[in-house]
Amino acid sequence: MSRVIRPVVLTILGVIWLAPLYLLLVNAAKPAAEYASDAVWRPIAEFALVDNIVDAWERAGLGEAVLSTVIYSIAGPAVAVLIGAAIGYAIVALRLKHGFFWFVLVFGGTVFPLQMIILPLFVGYAEVGLFDTRLGMIAVYAAISVPFSALVMRNFLGGIAHQVFEAAVMDGATTWRIFWRIYLPMSRSALVAVFILQATFVWNDLLLGLALSQSGDVRPLMTALTSMQSTYGGSQLPTVLAGGLLVSLPTVVLFLSTQRFFTRGLNLGQF
Amino acid sequence: MTGTSVAPRERGASYQWSARAFGLPAVLVVAVLLYLPFVWTSVISFTEYNGLGSPEWVGLANYREMFDDPNFLTSLRNTLLWVVGTITIPVGLGLLIAVMTYDMRFGVWFRLPFLITYAVSPVAVGVVWSFVLQNGGGLSQVLEAFGLPGAENRWLLDEPMNTLVMIGAWAWQQTGVNALLFVIGLQSIPKEPLEAAKMDGAAGWRLFRHMLWPMLRPLTTVVVGLALVASLKTFDIVMAMTEGGPGRSSETLALTMYREAFVNSAYGMGSAVALFLSVVTFIAAITYLRRQLSPRHEW
Amino acid sequence: MRIRYSATVAGLAASALVLAACGGDDEDEYGSGGAEAPGSLSFYTDKAAWEPQFLQVSDVSENALGLTLDFTGYSEADQYSAFIRQSFRTDEKPDLFTWHTGSELEDLVAEGLVAPTTDIWQQSIDEGNVPGDLREHFTIDGEQYCVPMNAAYWVMYYNTKVFAEHDIKEPTTWDELVAAADKLVAAGQTPFYETNILFSFVWFQTLLAGTDPELYAALSSGEASYTDAGVVDVMNRWREMHEKGYFGDPGDQTEPQVQLKNGTVAMINFGTFLSGQLNSVDMVSGTDYDFFIIPKVNPDLEQTPLIFETGPICTAEEAQNRDLALQYASWWMTEEAQTTWANARGDVSFNPKALINDEQLASLNQEAGTDGYQLLERYFEATPTPVLTAALDEFSAFVTNPGDPMPHLETIQAEAEAYWSDQG
Repeated sequence: MSRVIRPVVLTILGVIWLAPLYLLLVNAAKPAAEYASDAVWRPIAEFALVDNIVDAWERAGLGEAVLSTVIYSIAGPAVAVLIGAAIGYAIVALRLKHGFFWFVLVFGGTVFPLQMIILPLFVGYAEVGLFDTRLGMIAVYAAISVPFSALVMRNFLGGIAHQVFEAAVMDGATTWRIFWRIYLPMSRSALVAVFILQATFVWNDLLLGLALSQSGDVRPLMTALTSMQSTYGGSQLPTVLAGGLLVSLPTVVLFLSTQRFFTRGLNLGQF
Repeated sequence: MTGTSVAPRERGASYQWSARAFGLPAVLVVAVLLYLPFVWTSVISFTEYNGLGSPEWVGLANYREMFDDPNFLTSLRNTLLWVVGTITIPVGLGLLIAVMTYDMRFGVWFRLPFLITYAVSPVAVGVVWSFVLQNGGGLSQVLEAFGLPGAENRWLLDEPMNTLVMIGAWAWQQTGVNALLFVIGLQSIPKEPLEAAKMDGAAGWRLFRHMLWPMLRPLTTVVVGLALVASLKTFDIVMAMTEGGPGRSSETLALTMYREAFVNSAYGMGSAVALFLSVVTFIAAITYLRRQLSPRHEW
Repeated sequence: MRIRYSATVAGLAASALVLAACGGDDEDEYGSGGAEAPGSLSFYTDKAAWEPQFLQVSDVSENALGLTLDFTGYSEADQYSAFIRQSFRTDEKPDLFTWHTGSELEDLVAEGLVAPTTDIWQQSIDEGNVPGDLREHFTIDGEQYCVPMNAAYWVMYYNTKVFAEHDIKEPTTWDELVAAADKLVAAGQTPFYETNILFSFVWFQTLLAGTDPELYAALSSGEASYTDAGVVDVMNRWREMHEKGYFGDPGDQTEPQVQLKNGTVAMINFGTFLSGQLNSVDMVSGTDYDFFIIPKVNPDLEQTPLIFETGPICTAEEAQNRDLALQYASWWMTEEAQTTWANARGDVSFNPKALINDEQLASLNQEAGTDGYQLLERYFEATPTPVLTAALDEFSAFVTNPGDPMPHLETIQAEAEAYWSDQG
């Protein structure tokens, strides 16, 4: 019975979920002048996706921003994942005193509305010379990602029996070695999940990019892309969609290529 | 390296120094880059400040004005709708999808549609959902084609409908993330007891209720905790789709804050809303996490 | 497997950091932006999408002055305003930046943050580069600040095919305009574009300025009330127009140029910068679209009110290249700069000597300077920011659900009273 129900339910939901994506593809492929809001579902024979993508690429001047955005999306979350795992390890395995307090302190970083901290950050960055530097951007992206990372890692590492730690200590391993060689590899799927979610967030960030950078080779991608769409942009919807589609490709590929970490079998049970 | 060498004779000793070293980077980074700027914001909330010159101390005036404003109540109501909506729909669906797919053949593939939507750029998402939700747009066309009622709805123009449909759009984007987190939780459930339960004939609802759900608890905490915090701060999707309008009918607290600080350059007032929002979020999150992560459940 | 995995993580993190560090080095080599290089001025604007046009002018100025613009664009006007304000506290003070006249500029001047341009204005007026009438919008306490970046008039665009199809000529009186709208409605064609996002004020502006320009001016200076009978009448007229089905769907987020092109609406009440946007959807000026000056609503007015919009380019008083930036600002008003700028944008210019390629725009530029017209500042700039914010929200709600205007007007008036009492 459930063998039938599950695929059916999942397929129905899947179709609903894919419908807006269909709209995205179909309308991104329409010639800019052919798009009409009362015929969004209807595809048009003339296939202009490539033209629209090229148009978006040129209009927004995306080329320059790609490298820096790739760097931010890898470095920021990578640092955050490690830092988050480290404090999770400190609390759960090393039994850090007042662990809950420290955890709350770190997780508390997530309650502040980002919109309100960008102004003081901007002034602070300008004062210490981090404004408009890649290092500054990575630091802030890492900081933003740490609370989430700490929450997930703390809970995930909590699922590892403390005997694992004790046994490793018996074998004479250092705390660093236990962290690096045992706890991190055991939490692969959580690390990957946190990383891809945060990398996607950084890749799509607009707010921090606008606030803390200025020159072409430091500014991230979205600041360039959204200018097309602004009141003064005057770009057509198909062009905007094509641009959105283009910048979605890396994150989609990232999600697809990491799915193998989430298949049954890589579970903690095997350790 | 940085780790303390642990000789067997130290067994049972505490690793406090080591623990502090591991915890320090997170505390440091968060304190400097998130707390410090927010301290500034908090101070500004007791002043009148237009972003230029010196802030002028006005005590609690901003807070009094904030609570007196009827629009603040609308924002509060919409924000509560977002909290309830986010915790039920994307989290509930995420759980459903995770439980249905985690041990299924091709489960990864069935999960993909939900994940890809998260990977799509917000720029495109905003435009596509305005296609779907504008008057006579994609959604209305579908309803009409299937002879269903509701095609004449002005989805984004009438309250509280506009907030509800935007929660739907948000669910579309976020369900996959929650599903993914639940899958990780399901993967960390030890195989043996699960297999044993299945051998005993547990399946479907019973298996879920008595095996999976209790063991998923840590991850449920994570997912609900995150949804709670994120929903209280709802901003991007509303900004992209209605900018809080028409009028101020779909404004959330984060938009009220933005409106005051950025649109009106009234940073004192904007900061007051921000501080209120942060305190509410903090209390909600801590109350929730404390209950869920109380020492009794500490591993 | 475990070892390989750890190594991968370490490698990934390390390589990312190395890359980042390299990026940092690059930064030091080139300096942050080219602003420090001689001959380059840091230039900030919230009109990020106009980068190509600004750079075209920059190319011309490189030859003419030996100065170029180092462009930084923001796409979100509100955030832009916040960053410029904060930048005055840092060493990143802008050489040149676009801004808004009215209360936004007054804020900056009150703190002494903007370099005065009184001499530049006098010289430009003497040389005939800018009409003297424009000066008042840039004057605070007797001194001028900033120079005009652009100019635009608010006129009625129409789709020529739709007009021809329904046998409609360009209306020259308000009654003819109303008759045209009635005719279109009868034929099932929506006459006018309207939106509830940002530009929700447009028809209020047109109707009030066209009915009672003095009241329009008094409202923006706080001397009249939003609940005055004259304003209420205008709102009721606007409401009647809604009831007659004159306006398109205010929630339609399809761009105005596409709505005009597809014939979703027959006419759009918009700034002349719409020309550039219409050209970008392959509509040809004079063939596919055209525009006319909106007739006065009240036929007894001597002059036809014409809404005029201008945005300033300013220089920070303590900018690194203050004097060069002022030199640039002065040049910006010249015929050479304005001809390049206006044609690049496909818009009119404040400089009457600028050669506008688009015939329709060129003749508007001529006509607007004649006695038949009274130029009125756009509502957006004429209204103080907090009042404007409230008004945009109320008009947005009103166009979405047209009904009794009083609650909306009372809300705006409450905000206006709070603002003007604060001003002492």
